Amino acid sequence: MVSVLLLVGILAAVFVGFNVGGSTTGPAFGPAVGADAISKTGAAALMTLFFFVGAWTIGRNVVETLGGDLVTDATVFTPEASIGVLFFIGLGLLVGNLFGVPASTSMTAVGSIAGLALAGDALAWSVMGEIATWWIVSPFIGFWMSLIIGRYFYARLNRMVAMERSEGPLVELDRSGAVPKPVPNGSTSRRELLGVITVVAIGCLMAFSSGTSNIANAIAPLVGSDQLEMNPAILIGGAAVGIGTFTIARRTLETMGNDLTELPLTAAIVVATVSATLVIFLSAIGIPASFVVIATMCIIGLGWGRATRPVTVPEAVRGEEEPPVSVDALAEDEPGEELPPIGEEDPEHVPSAADLFDPATTARVVLMQNLVPLISTIGAYLAFRFVPIFGL
Amino acid sequence: MIERVLVPIDGSEMADKALEYALEVYGDAEITVLFVAGEPSPMMWKALSVAMDEGIGEAAQDHAEEIFKDAREMAAEYDVEIDTAVEMGSPAKQIVEHAEDFDAVVIGSHGGDLQSRLFVGNVAERVFKRSPVPVTVVR
Repeated sequence: MVSVLLLVGILAAVFVGFNVGGSTTGPAFGPAVGADAISKTGAAALMTLFFFVGAWTIGRNVVETLGGDLVTDATVFTPEASIGVLFFIGLGLLVGNLFGVPASTSMTAVGSIAGLALAGDALAWSVMGEIATWWIVSPFIGFWMSLIIGRYFYARLNRMVAMERSEGPLVELDRSGAVPKPVPNGSTSRRELLGVITVVAIGCLMAFSSGTSNIANAIAPLVGSDQLEMNPAILIGGAAVGIGTFTIARRTLETMGNDLTELPLTAAIVVATVSATLVIFLSAIGIPASFVVIATMCIIGLGWGRATRPVTVPEAVRGEEEPPVSVDALAEDEPGEELPPIGEEDPEHVPSAADLFDPATTARVVLMQNLVPLISTIGAYLAFRFVPIFGL
Repeated sequence: MIERVLVPIDGSEMADKALEYALEVYGDAEITVLFVAGEPSPMMWKALSVAMDEGIGEAAQDHAEEIFKDAREMAAEYDVEIDTAVEMGSPAKQIVEHAEDFDAVVIGSHGGDLQSRLFVGNVAERVFKRSPVPVTVVR
């Protein structure tokens, strides 16, 4: 009986890992694939490798938090409850992907386990408080760091990154020696090669950071209930992520790659580096981090920093060659009269970048990102409290 | 007498219907189509892609130009010339601010799917509630 439950538990963990692999490869390697730096298969292979390395080295800290420290009494992780928790994590992922609402898997996982612990009266409030505090503080750290970069260093970074792709493959294999070695294609400039290496390296960093924080979401309930040892669990979780990267990630890479090309490469690099570094730091101290929220706050910080830099009016207004005519002036014209072409902008309505990131907008977006984790917390609590099949 | 009509557009089918209605009913008036670039999106990519451009006004204009092209073509069918305006940020807020300079607003009932409902909100409803001038919601 227990072995059947274990099998179902592993299947649920594999399902979560599979989805993590599918949804993380896009943000991590979208820019690299979009810039034709690597193939989709290459992206999948690097994603799998670096996810595993991150999970094996730092990720186990988070597994210990989620599968142990967060509950005062590990017996709440009955085999049935572990499957239930994984079910809620998987459901959260599915809903998020289905409706295009990005939701942090880690927040969903913490929420589901907290729901279970609450129902079993075994929630370690001090640990929960510590996690929640970091969830509030870390996005602000990301916001502030990106803001500083956006305001003072972005222009310089942008010049460094400026990457123009030449025709033809990036590298050729030099087969003249005993061992074929890759050499830069004749049309590949040094600077271009450096740019390509940068986007691929940042993809690897993101994959690594995802491994450190996301492995726990797939395996923590099974490790917490002592159904699996840590190391075999990490191997299984890593393999499941690998399956996801080589299958469904191909599609997310296509859409993400296209979405991300709208974003200047330098901006994508800044956001990825700052948020991945923060996530790795949090994982190292055993805190499950919410990549989605951190990355969003980095984006807003970067945009804000950029928006607050001095902008001259001619820079902001297009069509300055035409005399700007205010809409009020038009009112004095007789109806039906042939109107002169007006400047595209009413001077009183010069678009300001601050409008892009006003507090109300920001609050709404971050609130929506917390919707899925919140629903799974409540759902998990209600299910574990009132449905008597989990052996609590 | 309705002399100046504001038609907010976003490239959606409902916005097209609103513009069509405005062209039919207010063809003699001064019609301005308004596009709000860099609207809130799940991770704010759209807003950032506008903000990071060298000239932010130009970036917003670039985003808008494609949608304006379609609008101008539609107006040409009715032999009407339209003006264009670009704003950035939260659509409902920008539309309401703009509406002060107009006699009426014609807006499509909704532009998007659940995702944009969640992140942007129901623009038509908010414009309807807060606009200083009469609003026609086209369904």
